[in-house]
Amino acid sequence: MYMDEMDVGQRKGDFSAVVASNRRIGDTFWKLRLEFGGEAADAFRTFRPGQFVQIDAAGAPLPPLEQIPETLQDTAERQVMLRRPFSFTDLDVQKRKTVGEILYCVVGPATLRMTMLRPGDGIAVIGPLGNGFRVPEGKRTALLVVGGMGTAPLQHLARHLAYDHKEIDATVFAGARTTRALPFERRQDEISQGLGFALPEFSRYGMESFIATDNGTAGFHGFVTDCVGKWLDENHPKPENTIVYTCGPEVMLAAMAKLAAERRIDCQVSMERRMACGIGVCQSCAVECRVPGSNETMYRMCCKDGPVFDSREVVFGEHN
Amino acid sequence: MSVGFGGLRLGGCVWTASGTCGYADELGEFMDMDRLGGFITKSITLEPRKGNATPRIVETDSGMLNAIGLANIGVERFIEEKVPLLAKMKAAVFVNVAGREIDDYVAVIDLLAGVEGIAGFELNVSCPNVKRGGITFGTDVGLLREITAAAKAAAAGKMLMVKLTPSVTNVSEMAAAAVEAGADALSLINTFTAMVVDIETRRPVLANRTGGLSGPAIKPIAVYMVNRVYNEVAKERGIPILGMGGIRNASDAVEFLLAGATAVAVGTASFVRPASAVRIMDGIERYCERMGVGAVAELTGALL
Ligand SMILES: Cc1cc2nc3c(=O)[nH]c(=O)nc-3n(C[C@H](O)[C@H](O)[C@H](O)COP(=O)(O)OP(=O)(O)OC[C@H]3O[C@@H](n4cnc5c(N)ncnc54)[C@H](O)[C@@H]3O)c2cc1C
Ligand SMILES: Cc1cc2nc3c(=O)[nH]c(=O)nc-3n(C[C@H](O)[C@H](O)[C@H](O)COP(=O)(O)O)c2cc1C
Ligand code: FES
Repeated sequence: MYMDEMDVGQRKGDFSAVVASNRRIGDTFWKLRLEFGGEAADAFRTFRPGQFVQIDAAGAPLPPLEQIPETLQDTAERQVMLRRPFSFTDLDVQKRKTVGEILYCVVGPATLRMTMLRPGDGIAVIGPLGNGFRVPEGKRTALLVVGGMGTAPLQHLARHLAYDHKEIDATVFAGARTTRALPFERRQDEISQGLGFALPEFSRYGMESFIATDNGTAGFHGFVTDCVGKWLDENHPKPENTIVYTCGPEVMLAAMAKLAAERRIDCQVSMERRMACGIGVCQSCAVECRVPGSNETMYRMCCKDGPVFDSREVVFGEHN
Repeated sequence: MSVGFGGLRLGGCVWTASGTCGYADELGEFMDMDRLGGFITKSITLEPRKGNATPRIVETDSGMLNAIGLANIGVERFIEEKVPLLAKMKAAVFVNVAGREIDDYVAVIDLLAGVEGIAGFELNVSCPNVKRGGITFGTDVGLLREITAAAKAAAAGKMLMVKLTPSVTNVSEMAAAAVEAGADALSLINTFTAMVVDIETRRPVLANRTGGLSGPAIKPIAVYMVNRVYNEVAKERGIPILGMGGIRNASDAVEFLLAGATAVAVGTASFVRPASAVRIMDGIERYCERMGVGAVAELTGALL
């Protein structure tokens, strides 16, 4: 293992971050940049792709009613008590501060409140939490397989691979139901040009991207996993030198895990569960896992044992 | 600020509640665990329990439902793997005990009664009794007497605290039954059974369908129940009460003390702020200074 693959020695804490910027990048997608200074800057310096933070959005106000989409108006009235988990899309380590970037989708009371954060606002953030993606030795080809909002930790991973694992060639596969559901900044300009794309989020690291939409409005018509299968057939990389990293809806993760197993390719999945604490004390976030060498299963905690798991461990379901 | 709790002398009046503080090492990264008055483990059962499918939790207004399903490693592994760590704590360690029938509870307590570093037991009587058609131990006076007496005999001198469920019509009747059968202390309240429906799928949100409601939403009811049990049962018999239910800050905690609690426990609030318990302790100290109160014990039951 490389030194940078180990989460040892990292100190987590309940820190205060300052909002650097918060802007809308699509229908329901926003980008929030958080600055950590002092002790927090040190703690977050080693934040690894796939790790996450717990954000306290309870103190932020709701947007005015007329700005809340009709479908969210009822849920908006719910009070927020618990924190919400988010991964980072990017990490910028500077001399005196560390800046983390969050890409979020507005789906309920906490994310609605987050849209009201303004530069300079303080916000409580617990982190770094969980275990990130690992890069085993000997890998030369990485496939980053994105389902919708699952792009967040994979963008951070792309940066890490580009800077710290130059021996690896990475290719990106992004899937969503429709073009509009793809959470990328400038997708509209790029979307109609055939199968290979330059998603700026990944092309800035020199990675080629493929898009798949269930309804065929852009790129490959079908599931992203079929697109990955086709690519593997055409490029046939050596299985033992190849690794798949994936994050997205559980059905997609399950399909990807199955494909990877058939092709004997290592696969790491980033799982999502409803979380209360995020630090391993409440047991809310159970992920059913196989017990090695037996037919039995056990629950492991998404927040503490994951959120990144080896795909062979996980018994996929419809849970959340 | 030290306080007495039954026969124990504790370093503080704030504890962490069962099922909300792991096995102590996790929260230790956020606060000095030695400042806690007491630490209560997740419910421990005789056999390991995997727990329920997910979703196991759902947030509600000012609260949450949980249906973890008593997931725990079982008493044997608990003794091997967790007790050595817990025994090093300064806080009084209580093992919360759960089971399906009285014999299960007794077996767990038997195995732990001689173990050093454990101050006592908290009896989780909010579980259904399989032998008696699923009736909850803590809702039937006779059953509660029976289980308390059996646990007391097994505890071999260690402190026995019975954790009352709020899902009863007369909580004092249950409190009296527990004390008469040998409980050295009472803790209240456990969660309220509740349900949240997903109107899109027309199913309950939790895989278990129902779950226990905790958090600020239950606090006023908890304060009332503590006050009632204090006045009607605990005060005259000198039985200490560990008050809990929705405590988020020092003001909340002081409400419980004034209502009759000798110490308080923090549960759900630790999820939002892992260092809640010590922050609350500091706040109580400031309150005492401001009020010219010399010892926390002076607050217990000082409601006018
Ligand atoms: C490790 C991890 C990393 C995450 N990273 C990101 C990220 O980078 N960007 C992002 O936009 N979101 C991310 N999420 C999801 C994010 O936490 C939720 O969208 C957020 O909590 C929603 O809060 P809310 O109050 O706005 O909506 P809520 O009302 O809480 O949720 C809206 C809907 O989403 C469902 N939901 C909520 N939380 C979860 C969950 N954890 N798993 C499955 N379904 C859920 C609810 O059932 C509900 O239908 C992540 C989740 C986890 C566990
Ligand atoms: C996630 C969770 C798990 C819990 N597990 C247990 C348990 O195993 N045994 C028990 O007696 N009480 C358990 N409780 C109840 C708490 O100990 C406490 O009585 C209750 O939550 C009220 O306090 P609070 O509002 O401060 O959380 C649990 C509560 C929560 C939220
Ligand atoms: S969210 Fe509490 S244990 Fe994972």
